[in-house]
Formats: sequence, structure tokens, C-alpha cells
Amino acid sequence: MLYLQILLNGLMLGGLYACIAVGFSLVWGVLNVINILHGSFVVLGSYIAYFAYVHLGIHPFFSIVLSGGALFALGYAVQAGLINRVVGAPVLTTLVLTFGLDLLLNNSMLLAFSADYRTVRLENPFGSLVVANLVVPLNRLYAMLLAVVLTGLLYVVLMRSRIGRAIVAVRMDPEAAALMGVNVKRIFALTFGIGALMAGGAGSLLSLIFPISPLASTDFLGIAFVVCVLGGLGSIAGAMVGGLALGVIQSFGALFIGPEHGLTIAFVLLIILLIFKPTGLMGRRGYE
Amino acid sequence: MTDLSSRFRYFVAAAILGAASLAVTGAHAQDTIRVGAPLPLTGPLSPEGLKQKRGYDLWAKTVNEAGGIAAGDKTYDVEIVYVDYESNTPRAVQSAERLITEDEVQFLFSPFGSGAAKAASSVSERYRIPTIAATASSEQVYDQGYKFLFGTFTPNSTLTDPLARIVADSGEDIKTVAIYARNDLFPLAIAKEMQASAEGNGYEVVSFDEFSVGTVDHASALTLMRQSQPDWIFATGYINDLILIRRQMADLGVEPQVLTMLAGPAYKEFTEATGDSAENVSSAAWWHPAVAYDGKDVFGSTADYVAAFEAEYGSLPDYAEASASAAGVILQAAIEDAGSIDPQAVRDALAGMDAVTFYGPVRFGETGQITSLEPPVFQIQGGEPMVIYPDAVKQSDMQYGGIQ
Repeated sequence: MLYLQILLNGLMLGGLYACIAVGFSLVWGVLNVINILHGSFVVLGSYIAYFAYVHLGIHPFFSIVLSGGALFALGYAVQAGLINRVVGAPVLTTLVLTFGLDLLLNNSMLLAFSADYRTVRLENPFGSLVVANLVVPLNRLYAMLLAVVLTGLLYVVLMRSRIGRAIVAVRMDPEAAALMGVNVKRIFALTFGIGALMAGGAGSLLSLIFPISPLASTDFLGIAFVVCVLGGLGSIAGAMVGGLALGVIQSFGALFIGPEHGLTIAFVLLIILLIFKPTGLMGRRGYE
Repeated sequence: MTDLSSRFRYFVAAAILGAASLAVTGAHAQDTIRVGAPLPLTGPLSPEGLKQKRGYDLWAKTVNEAGGIAAGDKTYDVEIVYVDYESNTPRAVQSAERLITEDEVQFLFSPFGSGAAKAASSVSERYRIPTIAATASSEQVYDQGYKFLFGTFTPNSTLTDPLARIVADSGEDIKTVAIYARNDLFPLAIAKEMQASAEGNGYEVVSFDEFSVGTVDHASALTLMRQSQPDWIFATGYINDLILIRRQMADLGVEPQVLTMLAGPAYKEFTEATGDSAENVSSAAWWHPAVAYDGKDVFGSTADYVAAFEAEYGSLPDYAEASASAAGVILQAAIEDAGSIDPQAVRDALAGMDAVTFYGPVRFGETGQITSLEPPVFQIQGGEPMVIYPDAVKQSDMQYGGIQ
């Protein structure tokens, strides 16, 4: 029973991890840009959800539309206005650029919102579901389910829509895609926008669970990074599998070796994986 | 090349100009006491840094409005020179050195927390600058044999001992304690102190777990506690950790008889973030707005200080803010006692101090750490922190159970 509970804890945590990582993975996979801004995008999404709840009474599950929309616009503008200028440069250049932008965004949030921790406290909390002595915190369960739905939507968009096919085409070969009439820079901006949208949506969902502060952005970024490498870059299924794997490994690691080593174990496994399967659990050497 | 050398010349010119303007401010500063304060104004510790800054600012403003500090036949204004060390301890030490050598501050307020205060104290000791640590409680900070370092927090054990005694004397059926601590200097030190206090009072410590800095999930540790059913859970960390732990406890249905958290429940952000589940969480702090002392300092009584703070910032002061103001008040008293700003004279006045301030009575022990305070134990009741101990300022009795 204990193991089942730990597994449940891990799966629910992993769902949240996947949700944090999927936008990061998309941007990295398609644009080859390591988006250091991602953690701050998630936090900004959380703030939008927080203010929407406190001032407008909009439930965080519905403010996904607001936070996702706002972050999409911001992401699109950042890519179209700034990153597109250096997107062909070596990865270190874009890394430094997004790092600098992150300093700007994060410190602006510190100035605007202060570093005080805030939380969305629902008037009618969901409580927990208890089945046969197994406890399922409903806020986490719902957040995770919504994250799966959101990620599934993204998958459908990528697979079925014209824009989605164009994104995948650019991912495979930007030059060939350009020759086929795809406006590559616009697709870059759209992809970055969608990555930011997913971050904003994740932020809304997480606002119910984690204390909100600009300082949390580095934690989120770290999680996104590990999940991507674990699951394999640029694939949505990879982010999902990587997130769940990290959550479960961390939970059992904390159980067997002690809570202070949960993350250590996850990172050790990550290194082992990198040695034996450098493309990640779901990654392929080619393209999907 | 020409471009480079002209740039170099520009830098030299700028440096000379900068030095000249520093010299000018230096000349102006003769009737101003400059106190250096390296603080973590940005980065993970910025909430703490900003609290300290509020405390110092209020003191400086109040002193200057009251006409300054009288030392002998001279009167000085106070200026606090802040440096942001970005929550990076090595940089805190560099900042302290820079404040002393370049900004020529005469006194220093230590950086935040035990770790950084200890690291920076070696610098101020070397330059013989009287230094007051407003947020360092661990005894290891003060046992280095330094003569110029003084601190306004009593040792960690003065927080955990009364707690353990109160629960032991309550007659409640509480036998087992689980301790869960952030692996960081202060949270771990106080958790170990709690282990000693608990064992000293006859409790069985069923588990002692640590979590690493940056942990975003406590479910595994809490699930284990749900199994072992300790009567008392003692969790340490900073406010974000404790908010998350408290929420996950509620999610997972972990309901001990007594839940103690350090250090966070003293801050109103904790109650705001956790709502009803803050109820009956106990804690301890070095100071509480409910204590009542008739201070002889620039603020007057504790109530006067609380009112002044509320007027300035619109909220009640917590122990970190009050301790920072107290550091100022103590420095002021020492300068006035010494009748000069000579570092050795002020240092001796600090060592021999026996004063009553809004913060409480102030006497320092051999090591420079304050010995005259009785830190209050409190419990969140009806959304407010109510003082349980010491009896002189007691507002309510400790409640058992009711942790949902």
C-alpha cells in the first residue's frame, strides 16, 4: 500500500513536471534554442492566474486561456523581435540572449510583484479523494489531467493542422521547408509563442499547488531541462514520459534513500541514461 | 588599437572622477555616522533582506527626525550604506570589506543569517569595526573569540527548549516526534537543537529527515509520516518550504497532535498562504509584537515601536524587522554611552551594555551574543499568532490537536 501511494504521488508530480517541460522541449527541438526564459514564463503564468483569481474571481483552471494567450503574445513578440535576429547563430548565442532576457523578466517581476510568496487559496478547495487508504489530492489530480489534455491538444495541432505540419517540417529541415514555401521565421515565432503558451498554461495549473514567487523560476527551468533530456528532445511524448519518469524516480528515491537524495538519484539516473541512451527515453536519432 | 586606448583613457578619467566624488562625500560625512549594511536585496533571500532593510530604515529615519545621535558634544546624523550581495555569501564578505575600506563606514550591520554573518565577521574583526548581527542565532557564529561582533538573537536552544517543556508539561499524550529539516545552516541547526530538546524531555524521536534546498515536493516524506503517525511533527525551513509542506500535509491527511514550524509562521505571508490550515501551528521567534517593554530608546515602548512601524509600512513588524531596528537602537545606545564614535570605545560600551529597549532588555554574554531575551513561543489561533510563553506576555494557552 505504501508503494502504491508513493507511485501515485510520483505520477501526479510527474504529470506536473511534464506540463512544465513540454513547451521547453518544443522550443529546443524545433528552434534549437535553449530557452532560459521558460521558468520565468511559467512564473508569469502563475501570477496571471493569481491576479485573475484574486481580482476577477476566475478559477485558475479557466485562466489558462488568459495566461496562455498573454504568454503566447509575449513569446511571439520576443522571438519575432529579438531571437529571430540571432536564431541561426551557434546555440551559445541564443542561450546568452535568453539568459539576459530572463534576468530582465525575472527582475521586472521581482520589482512588480516583490519576492513575497503568494498562493491561490480557493474558496472551495478540492480536498482529497481517499480510496482504500490511498490519498489522491484532487487539486494535483485535476491539474495533471488538464495538463495531459493541454499536451494532447498540442499534439493534435502539431499532427493535424497546417501550421503544425509546418512546425514539424521546419524542425526536420528549415532550408527544405523554406523551399516548400514555409515562412520559417514566422514558424519560429509561432513555435516560440506556443512554447510560451504551454508555460503560461502550466503556470496557471501550478498556481494551485506551489507558492508563487519569481524565485521559483530556476527550479522550474531545472525541472524542464532534466525532463527534456530524460525523455528526449522535441517530442511531446518524450516530455510526458520524461516528466512521469522523473516524478516516480524522485518519489521512490526519497522513500528508499531519504528525501534529501530524491533529486540526486534522479540526476544519477539521468547521467546513466545519457551514457547508454543519449537520445533520451523516447528520442530518436532521426526525426518524427 | 586607437579605439581601445581611447576607451582605456575614458575609464581612467571616469575612475579619477569617481574617486574625486567619493572624496567629496567623505568630506561631507564628518557629521554623519555611516553604517554599512550588506544585504541580500535580490536573489532567493531577498524577502529576508528587504525585511532587515525596513527595520534599519525605520531606525535611521526615526533617529534623524529626532535630531540624530548625541556623542559627547557632537551630534551625528545616521546614514545606512546598503550593498546588495545578491544572496551570495562570498559576495557578502566582499561587500563588507568594500563598505569598510572604500565607503569608509564606521560601523557594520551583518549580512543575513548565521552563515553569512559568520563569514563577514572575520572582515569586520580584522578592521576593528563594531558589528551587530541582527539575524544570526547559531552559537558557532559567536564562539570564534571575536571582540567586535555582537548579536541580537539568543542561541537556537532558547527556542526549542521552552517548546519541548510546554508540551511535556501539558499532560497531553504526546510521546513521539518526527523532525523534518531543510538541509541548510539555520534550519538544520535548529532541527538538531530540537532533537536534543525533545530527547531531553523524554520524547522518542521516530524520524529525522532532511530535504535539500530547492525541493518542490515533500509527498514521500509526508507519506512516511502518515504511516508512522508521530504525535508531534517539527518541520524547519524557510517560508516557501513551510507553505508547501503545510499544504501537502493537508492534501495527504497528515494530522499530528502538535505541528511546529520554524521559521515562517511568524510572518503574515504564511497565514495568508495557508489559510485555515495555519490554525494551531506552533512556532517560536526571538521577538513578537505582543511583547511589552518600556524602552529607553528612540522608539520608546514596544507598542510605540509597533505603531511607528505600522504607520511607516502598513503592517505589523515581525521578529526580523524588529531585530534590525533593535540593532540600530543598540548601536545608538553604545555610541551615546561611549560619548564618541571611536570604534574601541563603542565596542566596550556594547560589551558592557545593560539597557532596556523596545525589543527587550539588552545584555551581551562573553561571546557577544545577547543573553537577556526570552524568545516567545506562539501558536496561530484564529488566524493570529498568539503568545503562549513567556508567562509575562502570554496571550493564550497552547491548543492540542486541530491540525487538519
